[in-house]
Amino acid sequence: MSLYMLRRTGVYLFLSLAAFLSVFPFFWMAVGATNKSTEIITGKMTPGSNLVVNFQTLLSQVDLWRVFGNSFLIAIVSTILTLAVSSLAGYGFEIFRSRVRERIFQLLLLFLSIPFAALMVPLFVMISRAQLTNTFTAVILPTIASIFILFYFRQATKAFPSELRDAARVDGLKEWQIFLFVYMPTMRSTYAAATIIVFMNAWNNYLWPLIVLQTPENKTITLVISALTAAYTPDYGVILLTTVLATLPTLVIFFVLQRQFVQGMLGAVK
Amino acid sequence: MTRNVMRWTRTLAIALTGISMASVAAAAAELTVWCWDPNFNIPAMADAGARYTAAHPDTTFNINNVSQDEINQKLQTQLLAGVSDGLPDIVLIQDDNIQRFLQSFPGSFVPLSDSIDMSKFADYKVAAATYEGKSYSLPFDSGVTGLFYRSDYLEEAGYKPEDVQDITWNRLIEIGKDVLEKTGHQLIDMDYNDDGQIIMMMQSTGQWYLKDGNEPNIIDNPALKASLETFQAMAQSGLIKPVSDWTGYTGAFTSGEVAMVPQGVWITGTIKSMPDQAGKWRVAPLPALDGVDGATHYSNNGGSSWYVLASSEHQDEAIDFLKTVWAEDVDFYQGILVNQGAVGSLLAARDGDAYKASDPFFNDEPVWQNFSDWLAQVPAVDYGTFTPEARLAVRAQLPNIANGGDIDQALQAIDAQLRQQMQ
Repeated sequence: MSLYMLRRTGVYLFLSLAAFLSVFPFFWMAVGATNKSTEIITGKMTPGSNLVVNFQTLLSQVDLWRVFGNSFLIAIVSTILTLAVSSLAGYGFEIFRSRVRERIFQLLLLFLSIPFAALMVPLFVMISRAQLTNTFTAVILPTIASIFILFYFRQATKAFPSELRDAARVDGLKEWQIFLFVYMPTMRSTYAAATIIVFMNAWNNYLWPLIVLQTPENKTITLVISALTAAYTPDYGVILLTTVLATLPTLVIFFVLQRQFVQGMLGAVK
Repeated sequence: MTRNVMRWTRTLAIALTGISMASVAAAAAELTVWCWDPNFNIPAMADAGARYTAAHPDTTFNINNVSQDEINQKLQTQLLAGVSDGLPDIVLIQDDNIQRFLQSFPGSFVPLSDSIDMSKFADYKVAAATYEGKSYSLPFDSGVTGLFYRSDYLEEAGYKPEDVQDITWNRLIEIGKDVLEKTGHQLIDMDYNDDGQIIMMMQSTGQWYLKDGNEPNIIDNPALKASLETFQAMAQSGLIKPVSDWTGYTGAFTSGEVAMVPQGVWITGTIKSMPDQAGKWRVAPLPALDGVDGATHYSNNGGSSWYVLASSEHQDEAIDFLKTVWAEDVDFYQGILVNQGAVGSLLAARDGDAYKASDPFFNDEPVWQNFSDWLAQVPAVDYGTFTPEARLAVRAQLPNIANGGDIDQALQAIDAQLRQQMQ
């Protein structure tokens, strides 16, 4: 019994430490948002009274609603389109047999290893030839065919029982109906997990929007944070407040989809 | 009926006014500017723009807040892709980064020395943006250095302001040891991942990490060796408080922990952000390196300048604007000094009232007059295109040197890393 207690104590101590380490940055960010820049620099750890002032400073420098609107628009459209295209492709890759299928898939996985920086210049030339610079389309379009999400859906589809598909065929459903009415509802948790991943990537995307979005009214929240930190004497209170605001949407989405996310990671079909 | 006619006349009148306004707008130019600090260069540029628009109502300004990283990324990508849509007319670029752009993308920037007299500006600022005999920058803020120090700590240790005036680093180390012993305050604080301290000491002798364009100047560079030795001596005597980032760096002196800050003039705003320390600070010229030819008390850290892009459709307006405001208007420079603490590079600016004023925060010293005196004497160096790589190579060795590592070996390692990066 005492050995058991000792072990439990050890486990809980370790977990508490781990929890502290992961929660502390959030705590510090939230506390910092309520303090003055000079207080943050001197290491003040308690909530202050400068939240309203920070907020007013932020509003005077940034058109917050517009910026959040831009970020949401890009993230939501990206998420819907990426899931639609990549899940369909992942499903297709797993379900329909063909001789070259594995070759193509390996080639796609190879593309995953090419860093984005290498693709940036040719991509920019393409986008500018299509006269799409400084549009949200230019930000969203290159992310839709996500090889990672395709891969993720293909792996998840391996667990999708072929009996279900056969039964649907016997019932007279067409292929697109099977995808829409059988596959998609079954794979709910996979979709939920992918939503979190894609939304987060789109929301946090920095480099490509930076290159392709040119005017201030098209800026996203990540670009705004970067611009705030660029000052020679950065106002850390305002910066931390903005990061708090920028973290909220992904946090909300994660908590809403948390159960499905964990399920999705474990495999959708039991 | 009459009412209808009146309504139509009014509509027509409004429409005509609209058309005439549109045609005026077509003849007018809107200059787009990219710069990055909402408390510093953005309001300074806005002020300059307002002055120009007052005299030339056709020319207006659209000033965008774009960070340094963003400017580098965007320019690099777009100039490489050969696509100019969306690029600004005027852009602010950090001085030690400009040669890379000038040499990698010839013809992308307008040579301003063709139309503006560059002898009006501090030499070393003009030299930083000169390539193949032409100068491309309208020099803006200077990073001219000074030794900011807490006179109350010095006094406590038995020193007067004269004791730190025009001294050498070795003398400063002696004073530092004394101050540490008597007051408990370390001399300076430093992030070992930032070589600002080293480049300030080195440039004060007119030397740089590179020479003759892009040849590494590491192993046989007596100024660099002396700088590293001085740094090592300070670190080994416990005079440096190591910090891990910019927040820590500014925190150590704003909180009163360390006694001195050798830094570019732009740190003034941060030092003055603590009103309760007013009167406790003073500024001396930077100490000189011991035993190095050409050692002076003047150096530089950071600073940026304005450039006109060759792709601009309003080049003439942009050049005329820089020429009439930034290269001539002494009064304008007084405004940005008072409001933004910006020390420009126009030498004539020092004759204005604001530059002559003394600052109660610094014991009523005429700090601005001093800085502009020093500004004119900063030795010019050639930053070349590999300064960022050289700085990384030096930073990699700083912790080792601080711990007492062999300096010749460190120089070899720096040289090797730099040459490898340059291939």
